[in-house]
Amino acid sequence: MLKLMKYELRKTAFSKLVLLVITAVAELAFLLGVFLKKDNLLAIGIVFLFMCAVFGVIYIGIESVNVLYRDLNTKQSYMLFLTPKSSYEILGAKILENGISIVMAGVFFALLAALDITVATLYIGGLKEMINLVSSFMEINWSVTFTPAEAAFYFFGLLASWIVYIVNADLSVILSASVLAGKKGSIIAGFLIFMVISAIIGKALDLIPVLQSTELTFVIYIAAAFAIAAVLYLISGWIMEKKLSV
Amino acid sequence: MILESREATKKYGSKTAVNQVSLQLEPGLVYAMLGPNGSGKTTWMKMVAGLVKPTSGEILYQGNPIGKESRKEIAYMSTEPYFYSWMSVADVGKYYEDFFEDFSMEKYRQMISRMELTEDMKAKKLSSGMMAKLKIAVTMARGARLYLLDEPLNGIDLLARDQIMKSILEAIDPDVTLVVSSHLVDELERVADAAIFMKDGILAKQCMVEELRIDEHKSVVDLYREIYGHGGEEVC
Repeated sequence: MLKLMKYELRKTAFSKLVLLVITAVAELAFLLGVFLKKDNLLAIGIVFLFMCAVFGVIYIGIESVNVLYRDLNTKQSYMLFLTPKSSYEILGAKILENGISIVMAGVFFALLAALDITVATLYIGGLKEMINLVSSFMEINWSVTFTPAEAAFYFFGLLASWIVYIVNADLSVILSASVLAGKKGSIIAGFLIFMVISAIIGKALDLIPVLQSTELTFVIYIAAAFAIAAVLYLISGWIMEKKLSV
Repeated sequence: MILESREATKKYGSKTAVNQVSLQLEPGLVYAMLGPNGSGKTTWMKMVAGLVKPTSGEILYQGNPIGKESRKEIAYMSTEPYFYSWMSVADVGKYYEDFFEDFSMEKYRQMISRMELTEDMKAKKLSSGMMAKLKIAVTMARGARLYLLDEPLNGIDLLARDQIMKSILEAIDPDVTLVVSSHLVDELERVADAAIFMKDGILAKQCMVEELRIDEHKSVVDLYREIYGHGGEEVC
């Protein structure tokens, strides 16, 4: 499994490297803006760092679906399916590698944001004032109040939801390449299946009651999201094992 | 018997690529799998390799269905290139070493050196002849029990063909079975113990080459001409 994951990482290494380089350049612009008190550089740095964080995490997920599509629909599929590994292992390695990449990217950008806010407040203003400013802004505009722990749970909840939708997209790609293979409109049918399952997942997650403890609510939400991902994975693995011809 | 194909059938929509093919392979023999394009050779090989699931029927490797375990002992070489675009010749060897316990890196290095390939060459930049050599080298560097080689001589010049045939024949062993498909019937006749003729997805004929020569005074080339040149009716 680890060897499969190593090669999954290798397939997406280039784009992850590009993301890292863009982030490094944006970070440099941000730090120069802070230290040299250049507002333009600071603004460019913040905008690009924000975009790298949001679109980076989204892109890592989408790219994994694209890699799966290639691995099922081109001759490079032989590289995977000639190995003495089951479909469950092959798919599991893909999902695990991607899930870990998404969480690591999320944590990386969160830590970078925390570090940048600290640096900025040390040089520009007080940290406490800045946090208070952000909190009051959110409270006034969206009536949202978060403790740091709640913010962390909310963040991991978002990542867990994203992983579920990626696994769901994987299932649709697998259906298109197996059960629907050779049939007219298989890609559109796969997309419609993705939309229907996504709607069901959304409804299922909405059923989770909001408890008094926000942390507990998020723990249940994240556990439910991973349980759904596990079910989708088992269904996808079974379809690959029984129906997929490459 | 190392492999048994029991009425193996593969349909793609309304097209039947392989139609109820039943045959058995014995260890220690070299089988020439013959037939024109679209006769079902590649699809049958892919079913044995586990890449394609039969629509009906089954294929048993040493009595067990094709799957994860059989892939440990079956080495398949596709006619198309299939390596990842980022791979160098060295990466291809490392990949096989990572996944196949029977892979010998030492043998692989010897073979690529003999075939005038270098480890730093990028797989996607290889000519078709060089790619064929790489595919053969990485496949034959395994110590498999069953080799399935799909058109290994396709698009290869005469000198390279000799190198490739030499590499293939080195694997001959009482415990090893080789199935080689090719349009170059006379090339295969020199080395094959048995011939399998496929036509329109059906097994047209399976026979031992020596018996064909002694009993019917025919060569594989003669039989090939009879089967494919006269409508494919069974002639021996």
